[in-house]
Amino acid sequence: MRLLLVEDDALLGDGIRAGLMLAAYAVDWVRDGKAGLRALLDHDYDACVLDLGLPGLDGLAVLKAARQQGRQLPVLLLTARDTRDDKIHGLDCGADDYLTKPFDLAELQARLRALLRRAGGAAGPVLGHAGVELDPATKRVTRHGEEIALSAREYALLLDLLNHPRHVRTRAQLEESLYAWGSETDSNTVEVYIHHLRKKLGAEFIRTVRGLGYQLGQSA
Amino acid sequence: MRRTGPAAHSLRWRLLRAVSVATLLVWSLSGVFSYLKAQHEAEELMDGHLAQSARLLLALVRDNESHLGDLAMRLATVRGTSDNIYEPPLEFQIGHGDGTILLRSDAAPLLPVLGVAGYSDIERDTESWRVLNMVAADGNYRVQVAQSIAMRDQAALEVASQSVYPIVIVLPLLLLASYFSVRRVLRPLDALADDVAVRTPETLTPLPERDVPQEVAPLVGALNRLFGRLGQTLENERRFTADAAHELRTPLAAVKVQTQVAMLAADPQIRGHALQQIESGVDRATRLVNQLLRLARLDPMHQLDHPQAFDLRGVVDEALRAIRNARPQIGHEIVEELPAQPLIVAGDPDLLGIALRNLVDNALRYSGPGSSIRISAAGSGERCMLSVRDNGPGVPADIQTRLGERFYRHCDSGAEGNGLGLAIVGRIAELHGGQFAAGNHPDGGFVATLSELRLAPAASGSSA
Repeated sequence: MRLLLVEDDALLGDGIRAGLMLAAYAVDWVRDGKAGLRALLDHDYDACVLDLGLPGLDGLAVLKAARQQGRQLPVLLLTARDTRDDKIHGLDCGADDYLTKPFDLAELQARLRALLRRAGGAAGPVLGHAGVELDPATKRVTRHGEEIALSAREYALLLDLLNHPRHVRTRAQLEESLYAWGSETDSNTVEVYIHHLRKKLGAEFIRTVRGLGYQLGQSA
Repeated sequence: MRRTGPAAHSLRWRLLRAVSVATLLVWSLSGVFSYLKAQHEAEELMDGHLAQSARLLLALVRDNESHLGDLAMRLATVRGTSDNIYEPPLEFQIGHGDGTILLRSDAAPLLPVLGVAGYSDIERDTESWRVLNMVAADGNYRVQVAQSIAMRDQAALEVASQSVYPIVIVLPLLLLASYFSVRRVLRPLDALADDVAVRTPETLTPLPERDVPQEVAPLVGALNRLFGRLGQTLENERRFTADAAHELRTPLAAVKVQTQVAMLAADPQIRGHALQQIESGVDRATRLVNQLLRLARLDPMHQLDHPQAFDLRGVVDEALRAIRNARPQIGHEIVEELPAQPLIVAGDPDLLGIALRNLVDNALRYSGPGSSIRISAAGSGERCMLSVRDNGPGVPADIQTRLGERFYRHCDSGAEGNGLGLAIVGRIAELHGGQFAAGNHPDGGFVATLSELRLAPAASGSSA
């Protein structure tokens, strides 16, 4: 899962990025409104954490412009102002959720999980397919009730596939899920982790769509 | 001492009193005048009657000379009675040209008929008479007619009084009418008072300026301008409080998130980084609180508490020492340009030191590593200036006007500031009788100048 963080404050942005990376998200962090909008329009993110008080172009303007351009990803607003009107206005401009500074990192993670879950069309908090279950809140993965140990990147890859159960995910999309900007990737990294996942979850669990990418296998 | 009762300050009562007094005065004068005039006219009328009677008597005497006895009896029935003041009894004496009395009424005053022809007032035995002597044209007969002055006065008084009565009746009506007019005329003032009374600091909408009497319009205008300024001040204060809260929340949020990262992270490198970030977040919040407290202390001051005379060069030296101690690894060259003679300023050395440190901090933060910073001070006449200039990139032209604004930060720089520094410097310059300006220098770089600072009076000569 790849997230965009738009936050001008160096300390706060650094902390949120670190916190989200601990939750196995790939995070791109930009520090002003214009760069935020450009990133939203140029790349395909699973969700965005957007600060309202930004230099250049403020958060609401970024949000409105992104919505007008048809970006439908979940957006969580961060703001230091907590008047009712601010919240109403923010939600009416197209935000999906709202947190007031200072906030709890665990709450931010939980709200993002909920947003991502709903965006993926799943109602329950636990994602599942063919006997494999993934609980994003605890990061536990089980197969037929037995716990399976996954590395952070294996987990990120599985999460991406489970979040898009009916879609073919290209290698580029999966790579974006694994890495933030600037991280180094080998050309066959995705293949390596897919291979690991098949070993742990069964060869039929992930299907290769030749020339396109990967998809969850047929349910048994 | 002036009276201070509510009536003394009521326009309504003052106006009503003035109108009543003036009305009463005018009506009294005109009453007195009418009275005197009416009295005079009544007397003229009665004198006229007297003359007519005298001529009538003369004619009658001439025609009835043979039987004067009968004439006396007949006259007694027609000469009026004392019951009717408009027809007072006419007393008369008729005599020959030589003065012998031929005929007289019973109550006629005992006077010789030989008196000079014409009117006269005569007093006889406690009673006063209006007397008219008349001689026939041929000189054979003389007539003397008389009326009691007491009776005449009574008649004149009656006539004159009648002319004053209407005034007395109309006067209360007039006063009542003035009372109601004054009330009606002053009603817009009551309405205005009600309008002002419903306003609160939250609802300082301007008062309606239409339909206001011309005399009240300046007051309404002044009130509206006051409301405007008051509203602006309150709005500034609200915004400042909101901004201050916002500015504090961000470092607090950062500290909280970094703390949670430190607690969650298993990797010692991530945890160490988070802990460092927590420390700088606390430092930043502390700096912000210090600056806020400083502004809160400076804002309400109209003048310095205890201005003292001191050498500005000492302040510069001390501020530089403090900066070098705080940042031993400074990557900037700092140059001082100070006059050889002392520059004795009147003011607060601590505040000027704070202003200078703020400016040098800004220059260090925004000019980029390796830049040089020039601090100069100079005096001329009774004033002096202090400026800090760097040779960095300056600021974009479109944000120059926003530089002194509280919490405004020039963010492209990526450096951390709280947007209060220049506001504080501006306030300190004002308190020293001077001005503060900051912007790009025409020859490049950024320059911030405190100008027109007051020099101590005794030292102004030596520093020029």
